[in-house]
Amino acid sequence: MFIRIEKGSTVPISRQIMDQIRALCLAETLKPGDQIPSVRQLARELAVNQNTILRVYERLAGEGMLERRHGDGTYVAPHPPTWRMESQRQKFTEELNQLVSQGTLLGLTRDDLHLLVDDALDHRPTAEQPAAPSSVSGAS
Amino acid sequence: MSPVISLQAVKKAFQHQPVLKGVSFDVLPGQTLAFLGRNAAGKTTTIRMLLGLIPPDSGTITVLGHDPFRQPVEVRRRVGYLAEDQTMFGWMTVAEILRFMAPFYPTWDHALAGEYVRQFELPPATKIRRLSKGQNVRLGLVLALAHRPELVILDDPALGLDPIMRREFNRDLISHLQGGGRTVFYSSHLLYEVEPIADQIAILDEGTIVRHGPTEQVLHEVKRIVVSLAAYGRLDENWTVLDLRRSGDEVALTIDHADAAIAHLAAHALPHRVIDLNLDEVFEAFVGGNKGVSGVARADTCDPVAVSAAVR
Repeated sequence: MFIRIEKGSTVPISRQIMDQIRALCLAETLKPGDQIPSVRQLARELAVNQNTILRVYERLAGEGMLERRHGDGTYVAPHPPTWRMESQRQKFTEELNQLVSQGTLLGLTRDDLHLLVDDALDHRPTAEQPAAPSSVSGAS
Repeated sequence: MSPVISLQAVKKAFQHQPVLKGVSFDVLPGQTLAFLGRNAAGKTTTIRMLLGLIPPDSGTITVLGHDPFRQPVEVRRRVGYLAEDQTMFGWMTVAEILRFMAPFYPTWDHALAGEYVRQFELPPATKIRRLSKGQNVRLGLVLALAHRPELVILDDPALGLDPIMRREFNRDLISHLQGGGRTVFYSSHLLYEVEPIADQIAILDEGTIVRHGPTEQVLHEVKRIVVSLAAYGRLDENWTVLDLRRSGDEVALTIDHADAAIAHLAAHALPHRVIDLNLDEVFEAFVGGNKGVSGVARADTCDPVAVSAAVR
């Protein structure tokens, strides 16, 4: 499992690790049922506090992405959880909110923004079906 | 869970120059606290008091349940200490200094010391002055850990190490200290070295703790918010403004506990941008923030933001 930590980033370290593990699972680089490094191993490898890694694993287990088997380590959960789309949507919504507030600062009106969104929808390269949760990819 | 380290309103002055002006904080068992501050902020004075080398002028210090100045032996037996550039007897070999140090500590574990020497690939028959910088720090770590201390105090130990050695040192800390459930008090200048390994950070500036909290929580709570000059004029909240500067028609405020500020701006439909900060920027805001209002032309109006900033 390759994880890269950017020092001095504004993104907290736990978030960096969490996002990358999620991305690896979404891209199916990590497949359902794969065992991932123990808290101790990953903490040592990344030179990151064990409590931070533990928090990440517990959070991802809470989301249904990972499965912590008592005394037997941590695995990628066998079934793709439905939260995947929700989490992606939430991220998208956050980014959209930021874009909108930037647009507002640029002086764009509500109508301007609506037009821009319509334009973007009209100019999509291909009209894709909404992706099913299991086929979401390219997150990396 | 009673704290391993507890300081209550600790003051210390040297020749009538106050160095610590009422420092209070706790470190809980198993936690790693990054103790951050600029040079001369009072970090070394704090460490000297934790080790019982000097007493506070007022306030109380408890380390592992004891007053370190009154019960120095009790405390030092259970504390490991590692400083940058620890000068050791250069003519001794690695094996000799281990034998030399052991009798000072009733709990010295020869097997453990030998184990660390092997793991750290230290050459037992080599004289200390022939060791590399990295080997020296590792030897210091062996000496600080071989008596199985409950608390380890690190005084900028990684300062002289190159980036590769620092990473190795951090790995050693994680495996041998945090892995062993020890409490770590880590004083440092190297913000990005301690950020990944600290549970908590405490920022010391001019003799007081200006911020203390879980590392990621502090990062989450301190934000830079950019508003227009017009919107700035309409702010009437009593925020903790750490830094304030103006550029053209915009004002950038660095604010602690920013969630409330952001919610307020949103509730009043005041346009604003929120900028995340990294540890460097957060640190700078606390220890070197531009808290004056000289750059912001609002002298003609009552300025609650500036007032709250000045009062802080």
